[in-house]
Amino acid sequence: MNQKEKKMLVVLDCCVGCHACEIACRQEHDLTHETGSKWCRVMTVKPRRVRDELYLDYFPTMCVHCDAPLCLESCPIGAITKREDGLVLVNGEKCNGCRLCISACPYGAMSFNEVTQAAGKCDFCLGRAEFGIEPSCVQHCIGGALRYVGPEELNEVTKGKHTAFFEKVCYASSQWKLVS
Amino acid sequence: MPGDTVCKKCGTSWIVPKNLKDILSKARSSRSECYNELLSLCPKCRPQAFGERTIGEDLKKVPRRWRIPRRRVEERKPVKTDQRSGARVYKSQCYICNSGCDALVFEKDGKVIKVEGDPSSPITKGTLCCKGLASKEQLYNKDRILYPMKRIGQRGEGRWQRISWDEALDTAAERFKGIEKKYGPDSIVLATGTKRGTWPDYLMRFANAWGKQWTSTGWAQCALPRLSAGGMVLGGSAAECPDFSKTACILVWGANPTNNWPHKAVHLMDAWSAGVPMIVVDPELRETSSKADIWLQLRPGTDAALGLGFINVIIGEGLYDKEFVEKWCIGFDELKARAEEYDLDRVEKITWVPKAKIREAARLYATSKPACMMHSVGIEQNADTISSCLATVMLPALTGNLDIPGGNLFPMFQGMRGRDDTDYTLKHLITPEREKNILGAAQYPLLSSNECMLYPTSHNSTLWKTMLDGEPYPVKGIYIHGTHLAVNVANTQQVTAALRALEFIVVVDILMNSTAELADILLPAATWLERDEVACHIQASYNAIQIGQAAVRQGECRSNYAIMNGLAKRLGAENMFPPESDEPFFDFMLEKTGLTWKILKEKGGHTFPDLFRKYEKNGFNTPSRKVELVSSKMKGLGVDPLPAHREPSESPINTPELAKEYPLIITTGGRLSMYRHSEGRNIEILRELMPRPLMSIHPATAQGLGIKDGEEVVVETPRGSMEAWANLTEGIHPGVVQLPSHWSGMNNVNLVMDNQRCAPLVGSTELRCQLCRVKRKE
Repeated sequence: MNQKEKKMLVVLDCCVGCHACEIACRQEHDLTHETGSKWCRVMTVKPRRVRDELYLDYFPTMCVHCDAPLCLESCPIGAITKREDGLVLVNGEKCNGCRLCISACPYGAMSFNEVTQAAGKCDFCLGRAEFGIEPSCVQHCIGGALRYVGPEELNEVTKGKHTAFFEKVCYASSQWKLVS
Repeated sequence: MPGDTVCKKCGTSWIVPKNLKDILSKARSSRSECYNELLSLCPKCRPQAFGERTIGEDLKKVPRRWRIPRRRVEERKPVKTDQRSGARVYKSQCYICNSGCDALVFEKDGKVIKVEGDPSSPITKGTLCCKGLASKEQLYNKDRILYPMKRIGQRGEGRWQRISWDEALDTAAERFKGIEKKYGPDSIVLATGTKRGTWPDYLMRFANAWGKQWTSTGWAQCALPRLSAGGMVLGGSAAECPDFSKTACILVWGANPTNNWPHKAVHLMDAWSAGVPMIVVDPELRETSSKADIWLQLRPGTDAALGLGFINVIIGEGLYDKEFVEKWCIGFDELKARAEEYDLDRVEKITWVPKAKIREAARLYATSKPACMMHSVGIEQNADTISSCLATVMLPALTGNLDIPGGNLFPMFQGMRGRDDTDYTLKHLITPEREKNILGAAQYPLLSSNECMLYPTSHNSTLWKTMLDGEPYPVKGIYIHGTHLAVNVANTQQVTAALRALEFIVVVDILMNSTAELADILLPAATWLERDEVACHIQASYNAIQIGQAAVRQGECRSNYAIMNGLAKRLGAENMFPPESDEPFFDFMLEKTGLTWKILKEKGGHTFPDLFRKYEKNGFNTPSRKVELVSSKMKGLGVDPLPAHREPSESPINTPELAKEYPLIITTGGRLSMYRHSEGRNIEILRELMPRPLMSIHPATAQGLGIKDGEEVVVETPRGSMEAWANLTEGIHPGVVQLPSHWSGMNNVNLVMDNQRCAPLVGSTELRCQLCRVKRKE
């Protein structure tokens, strides 16, 4: 699978806040309770009143694979790399557990694994991609909010919608003017 | 370790890299503002702030216009071995809850390494919810009951001794026989909980073969009222089977399918995101209602009035399907007269829903062709549950949406035995003499007598009372198979006292809990990963037989069928199956379909062809062969056969004096996505998602009570008090609080819920609409 072209599209309208992606991710990457680690999470934006109507939103977050990753810059031993296809990857075996990258990531996407004593984060299920299987969060998404797509499908789905691009992740909404 | 920066949001400190400034200056050009904002918070607070920031504060509402093609199901051949991990793959059916989603189980070296959705399943389209994905955590949970055990300390003390299966079953049978001899044949009861495959129905067969009454803890509060109403009016469970795949309008009533029917939510969300409008009736803005195009926020417990409001508009404005009604419905004029009593001014007054909104919703539902509706447990826990269910099941009939593509479908399981098959249920063994001894038979005929549309079960609170006072006969022993009685029924105080008053208790369960702690004999049940199953499940699919396959086995756990069969053999109960294998039973269930367990295991399930308008052949399965808008069954029972609003026993209108002291309406039982009923709290990765029960309360109400978000609160009713944590949300009416159910200890809402006043005919408790007061915990 060509990962270079692919982006994670998050259709915010469709997220139902069910947390299936979170648990799918934890199972796929063996992030047990003891690890205290989460690579994907769903936030709840509590009901807000806009022009006399109430809106409740859910917001899945994961690593956006920055073009100039602060985690990479902060790592003193070069355990984090930016691949040619855009993926930012942590080498868990090389990681010395200093946690600087966790402080440096503005999105809170970097997570410390208490069992392996190494930092880790979303890699768009690299291990599955090798076998042509989509990321686990995408497969199990109940609302159909998470989609791992190429540029054509991304353009088709987001046409006329509000979007916010964060490198490898694109948030889209038909209701809210998003801020990137 | 103390850090050198303090989080602007939560106040905790953390360490920042010394060279952060350099790092930032290298990267900030593109998104400096965003970085500044988020980096002033601790890493834990950042994801939430990121979400809130991205969605934006300056909100400009535009109409939702999203058209995404629906997800397709991959055509895949069943895979026996996973290429990636080398694990053996079992096609199975997830029973972490009762939805019964198709799932794949990955087993390697005798261990389950992964549970995933099945991408080739038309039922789930490859998804699985967070509970199902955490099934492995239940299988290998530290609280697993792995061996038969007997109690050696005091009841509830928690001291156990491991024994063999033979000793456990022999002891249980001996003790039960002794009690029967001493106190009479009715002194023993059976109890079970939510259906998980076919086995809870099998418990009824066991009970009938043994000649005992049984109770299902949720039955009267969940499923029975709506199945009864469906059976009486439509002659089947069409209202349970909405066809989201081809519909033009969705009506969701008293349900939150994204949390409790995830596989239905997949199809619902696919339809919704393809542009199909959705109406949701729910007192709180929650997962499903937040997606609604029209959200009807009703006063808890007033569903029947709202339903009649819908019918008033549909008939009054001539929006009903005249041809269908004329040809296939009886009792239209009576219904019309009843609906006229519920003009929208009156309905607005009762339900608190603006009449313009009701009209808009009713028009949208009635004029969209085809339209489907789904209703669920939200309408089954009020003052007159049959009435509210009658009102909702009539809607697809009036609008001509019965058994058509995109409407509500009658199931198509041709020949598969189910709970309406007496060869399976052995219902004929409930003779009139036995029937009259079922607790609740006289008062709640649709629950506890042979008048019941499905199978008679004893009435919960009548049973607890009988256990305590021995009237009309002593009850001294109970066989509890898969239900957490000490938590999951109203009036926990009474239930635990009743259980403690018994002489002998057998509990069959997967995990240790406070009900299991009361047992004399404890038997280990298999999780869904350890048992075979064959099920036709209207709530999963209207046309498929699904199978479950045992992938591993922990300890000495046994399948539910094997446990019951083993006990039945020792009790001399005839007509049961041999305990050694479940296969003869599965083949018996499949007998008339021409399939066998072996064939199904090879195929991984079976799908029957779609058939629509099945009623055109033989009519509807009612006495008149038509849709009975005026139910002849209800007439026969001598009650008002039409839906009507019945004010909750406790409400600001019915009991204004009480409402002065207890001013808030308490509604409970709304489901959470990470737990099923009382289950799941001991699965740590799920518990992390919702560590404690959150009470939804309106900010204005909370402010008046001096309660801040996240603070611990005490909820009091005339019955007692319980504790929870406040979740301030504008999504709930200022006069209502919503409490999650099924938590244990002092957080158990059943400590404050009344179980004495029950709905007529079926005896449901009014869990959705009682009165309470709330204060901050000092």
